[in-house]
Amino acid sequence: MTEPVLRVEGLSKSFAAVRALDDVSLDVRSREVVGLIGENGAGKSTLLKVLAGVLRADRGRVIVHGAPVSPANVAAAAACGIGIVFQEQALLPNVTVAENILLGHEGRALRTGFYDWRTLYALAATQLEKLGAEISPSALTATLSFAERQLVEIARALAIEERTRREPIILLDEPTSMLDVNGIETVLGQIERLRRRASVVFVSHRLDEVLRVADRIWVMVNGRCIAMRERAMCDIADLERLMLGRELDAGCQQQAPSSTHGPKVRLSVRELGRRNSYRGVSFDLHAGEVLGIAELAGSGGESLCRALFGAERADVGEIILDGRPVRLREPAEAVGHGIGYVPAERRLEGVVGGLGVRQNMTLAHLDELRRGPFIDVVGELRLVKNWIDRLRIRTPTAETPANSLSGGNQQKVVLAKWLIGRKLKVLILDHPTRGLDIGAKAEMFALIHKLARDGLGVLLVADTVDEVIALSHSIIVMKDGVVSGRFPASAAKPSRLQVLERML
Amino acid sequence: MAPAPPTNQSPAIPPDDHVLRPRAGWAAKRFAPLVVLLSLLIAVGAIEPSFLSPYALNVLADESSVILILATAQTVVILLGGIDLSMTAVASLASVLTALALPAIGPSALVGVLALTTLIGAVQGLIHTRGQAPSFIVTLAGLGAWSGLALTIGQTTIPVAAGYSAVGWLARSSIGVPNSFCLALAALIALAVALRWLPFGRHVYAIGMAERAAMLSGVPVGRVKILGFALTGLFSGLAGLAMVARSSSGSPTIADSLLLPTIAAVVIGGTSITGGVGGLGRTFIGALTITVLRVALATIGLDPAYEPIAYGVLVIAAVALTIDRSNAQIVK
Repeated sequence: MTEPVLRVEGLSKSFAAVRALDDVSLDVRSREVVGLIGENGAGKSTLLKVLAGVLRADRGRVIVHGAPVSPANVAAAAACGIGIVFQEQALLPNVTVAENILLGHEGRALRTGFYDWRTLYALAATQLEKLGAEISPSALTATLSFAERQLVEIARALAIEERTRREPIILLDEPTSMLDVNGIETVLGQIERLRRRASVVFVSHRLDEVLRVADRIWVMVNGRCIAMRERAMCDIADLERLMLGRELDAGCQQQAPSSTHGPKVRLSVRELGRRNSYRGVSFDLHAGEVLGIAELAGSGGESLCRALFGAERADVGEIILDGRPVRLREPAEAVGHGIGYVPAERRLEGVVGGLGVRQNMTLAHLDELRRGPFIDVVGELRLVKNWIDRLRIRTPTAETPANSLSGGNQQKVVLAKWLIGRKLKVLILDHPTRGLDIGAKAEMFALIHKLARDGLGVLLVADTVDEVIALSHSIIVMKDGVVSGRFPASAAKPSRLQVLERML
Repeated sequence: MAPAPPTNQSPAIPPDDHVLRPRAGWAAKRFAPLVVLLSLLIAVGAIEPSFLSPYALNVLADESSVILILATAQTVVILLGGIDLSMTAVASLASVLTALALPAIGPSALVGVLALTTLIGAVQGLIHTRGQAPSFIVTLAGLGAWSGLALTIGQTTIPVAAGYSAVGWLARSSIGVPNSFCLALAALIALAVALRWLPFGRHVYAIGMAERAAMLSGVPVGRVKILGFALTGLFSGLAGLAMVARSSSGSPTIADSLLLPTIAAVVIGGTSITGGVGGLGRTFIGALTITVLRVALATIGLDPAYEPIAYGVLVIAAVALTIDRSNAQIVK
């Protein structure tokens, strides 16, 4: 084997007292796909950011094509042949695909300061062709789907190739975490294609994906690179063991709740519809039941969840809570009725990032914490500490800003925000495990089961079909805005295939 | 089924996360406004020792009261992530209405004026939230509309003679401190308590930091914002009354020159113009700084034309120093 195209030697990086990278060494060979796995906070993103010039390492070397580099920014990293696709998309929505792909390095497409549109489109088309992507260079970026935008980002990273005249190294930071089944297939297919012209570092929480596309897999734990495995030599269980340093509790990981729920109907939805989103949706959610909605993204389930929380209006239909019809014009009303909502976009919609854990947890139920007109701050702190312990939230103090916690712990804060409510009846979970590592996921699974046992009605839209099946008593399948399948709790658990059939 | 989730043994160890925000320079940021105020006082005192005499400080307090009243309510709206550009116009309108109504119907006119300005603020808040128009635009329109209305009604300076005693007490002093300053301070403290210990305050900060997250936590965003703008209306009215007391007259342009200084006071104090960060303690320092600057420039005998230049420089410096760049990468 020849000299690796990318070698990392003894890289360390600290933030205040926290060691994000601790003497990390690894290498990437030519035209190789390398998987990088680890729990949240293990240092994967930090490593990628150092490689891409977003962060500077405290110690250690990065060697690209035999020469040590220390890029000061993304442009400098690109000049070294390293391109990155960030977890959060970094495209300008209001310009064309071609402009996004060539932004900052328009080259021939720029003539005395003006775009030569024909050249611009042609250059962009070359990049898109590398991926075999059927996206028009002249399309407005905002009109693309999430998966398509992901491809545009990859194409942009690939454009480095022309400038450096070398095989690029493409860093992909969780490119699949926000995608549905179709989108994931597209992106994984692209990674396979990329192998023909580039080296790829692929970060994902989904071990099955990593095992599918990566030749070798590096495992990170607590800022250290603790192991490397050849794909052929390991399976998911091995990798989980490595990442966690322990076996996962099998019961929490996969086992579905076997008990049946109570007879009391908590929430009834009758013929609910919203234009261009969903129509004629009816179901009953019982106390103690987890009702899962299985769907491809955009099939109406998420929109439905928002309507049941008052964050969106339904045009027609009826929502009945504990036997009484309710009108939900805004979330505040839903909260007043005892409905809680855990949104999919945790960082934007779940937590108020700059506020402390305490303020986040009690934000929805300040009225229950009042003594006279004032907030009973002492009682509040006691309650919050209690929930920090109960949910085992890892935070230095109750006052720590929520956005400095890891994803899993942030999600627990969001859950606690609803659980502290004295009259919580229904909890709506929109992709509650999105972006969580397997340890945090398993905890979330266990929590959801426990909530149902405690008599809550839980409505769930989950990331994967497997998750929906594992977590739910009953399942409804949505396709193109209508309910296309029902698997009630009384019947046998459906198989993955049965559910998928109704979805596609 | 056993609930025991697999997890770490010690729940209280530092987070395994590494995106802790850099805290370096936090103290410098937090206390810089106070340091600026004190150095300014000392510098001016060194040049003009009489500036620090009890009498001069009394004048200073009196001078600061209107800016303090305006900046106090402005702080709430800025914490919400908005801004109210109409406050000074509403204050001028209030002074005109007071000057006209006070001689005619007596002290009850004051209640009417305050109720009206509160309503004006609330309506602007309603248009802002229901119409989903930026508060900047709504209150900019308000600035024009209320100034025009004040000019139409008032034309020119209207002296208040009959009934002046209803507001005159604001221009006097008790135990050596101007009453208007006491009123401003009391109002500031009341709002500071509300921001800290009422659900309203929590809601204000949550909305300013992350409006969507606040909304999806059941915070009644619309109501809180309308209440915030009702407060700026009420406080504009109060400022109008204080100005009538000072000058024994109302005028359609009486508060015009205070728009920039009040916003400057909030920002110089260290409240982030992007919302969610800051508070009234900071605004108190900011308002005093602005006042010292105004009075000091006059004391030293500098051309008043330089005054706005000084605000401009101070605002830029304060924003550069206090803006939370980690949170506000996109600034509009």
